[in-house]
Amino acid sequence: MSVGGGKKGYRATGSALLLGSTGLAIFAGVWALAAAKLGNEVLLPSPLSVVKTYGELIGDGSLASDVKASIVRVFAGFFIASAIAVPLALILAYSRILRGLVMPLIALIRPIPPIAWIPLAILWMGLGDPPSYFITSIAAFFPIFLNAFAGGTSLQQEHVNAARSLGARPAALLTTVMLPSALPMIVTGLRIGLGQAWMAVVTAELIAAQSGLGYMIQISRLSLETPRVLVGMTVIGLLGAVMIGVLGVLERRFIVPWNFTR
Amino acid sequence: MTRGAAHNPLRDPVVADSRPGRAALHLVDAAESADRAAVRLRLDDVTVDFGRKIPAVENVSLGIGAGEFVALLGPSGCGKSTLLNVLAGFQAPSKGRAYLDGEPLLGPSAKCGVVFQKHSLFPWMTALENVAFGPRRLGLPDPRGIARDLLDSVGLADVANAWPSSLSGGMQQRVGIARALATRPPVLLMDEPFGALDAQTRSLMQEELLSIWDKLRPTVVFVTHDIEEAIFLADRVVVMQALPGKIAREFAVPFVRPRAPEIMDEPAFIELRREIADIIRIEARKSFR
Repeated sequence: MSVGGGKKGYRATGSALLLGSTGLAIFAGVWALAAAKLGNEVLLPSPLSVVKTYGELIGDGSLASDVKASIVRVFAGFFIASAIAVPLALILAYSRILRGLVMPLIALIRPIPPIAWIPLAILWMGLGDPPSYFITSIAAFFPIFLNAFAGGTSLQQEHVNAARSLGARPAALLTTVMLPSALPMIVTGLRIGLGQAWMAVVTAELIAAQSGLGYMIQISRLSLETPRVLVGMTVIGLLGAVMIGVLGVLERRFIVPWNFTR
Repeated sequence: MTRGAAHNPLRDPVVADSRPGRAALHLVDAAESADRAAVRLRLDDVTVDFGRKIPAVENVSLGIGAGEFVALLGPSGCGKSTLLNVLAGFQAPSKGRAYLDGEPLLGPSAKCGVVFQKHSLFPWMTALENVAFGPRRLGLPDPRGIARDLLDSVGLADVANAWPSSLSGGMQQRVGIARALATRPPVLLMDEPFGALDAQTRSLMQEELLSIWDKLRPTVVFVTHDIEEAIFLADRVVVMQALPGKIAREFAVPFVRPRAPEIMDEPAFIELRREIADIIRIEARKSFR
């Protein structure tokens, strides 16, 4: 990253920021115009009234508690999914027999969307947090699993041979060769999985929870408080983008820096 | 005593009909020849068939002395890389056996350093950590110190902390050689290590390899399809034939060391090159369709 970065890097970042904020400003302008033309706060509230609602919801603390409830669910599901998907994917990548045994099952379960699991989740776990954890982990599981599996199978025989000829025993082979060579794909899977968990948390809260951003969107819709709906939506967008961005930075700087040299 | 004669005891009767090299042009001092008397690597009637009808390697027997530099030369598909993989312990023979210092070779070990054609550095480790990998696995003291010294000796001290992907092909191969040497292996196995480099880099790397070999004197088995490279580097050139892979002939290379690239212009070099090229052309034609 640091090699040959410097001035050029800053200029590129600067112009990206400028272009990005211009794009957002244009979007907000079009939205404001459309809202003014329409003149209906329920169908399409103006950006200004959404900002005002932001102020109210931050002021009374309800936004913070909804955000907190949703974030906990996202991370709970994300961690459960990662803890199962990564080891399972690596084991299947290296064991032909287990792969043959488990892969068909995974191929069958994978097309089922998270939302279709909600009835079962509620039947098994009732309302509240557990079904939300379940739904977010289902959503995060498949991208993490599939990428980690691809990472595990992308192992190069040359690397294994080189390590063995340098005295690496099986345990060292696993931790110093197999794991790091799968790591770039695993991290990609985690990034996509985190995004999927964010999308799924709203689905889960719309139906199976009594708190969180999804729940807030749902009750605001019922009371026709559209600005609140938009606050919920934009907060989800913002938080999701920030989390995925942070994960991207961690990936480049600390987790797989060798994948980002020029 | 000539080098060719010095190797006679190493040669298995099976390949005795592969004529020894032409009369040597230079004399080699006796002490050096005596050094070579110990057989370090031995292939005993090795066949590798990969389950196919025509084996990749058939009934190959070969002895390689301690400190000897042997080139395995031949057209593609002649089984020279397969043979190297047997010596490295990566490939178990279907028949026959390989021995290192008289012990049967049952798998890869840190006694045989291997330099691969390309893409074998661990991309997730810096150049320094790549070289320190072997010493770490063996629990040697100060792996980073060993790695730093070796990188210094191949002229790469300044890129010790670079990722392999940011290094040029020649630099990557030098790191690869340093990594293979880091465990101080008595044997260095090299599988077309300079095959992917441009001609200029390649000839510099050849000289560098010779100077490293001169310092450490490991036993080297060097696989290549480049005739000049084989003659320039090796004490003995083993020419292989294809379909099935066998030893066609062996040549002792008479040029005294240290060798400079200028020897490639000497008549004796050119004559040897032509003789080997004739054999290889016949062999390459067999598998050329």
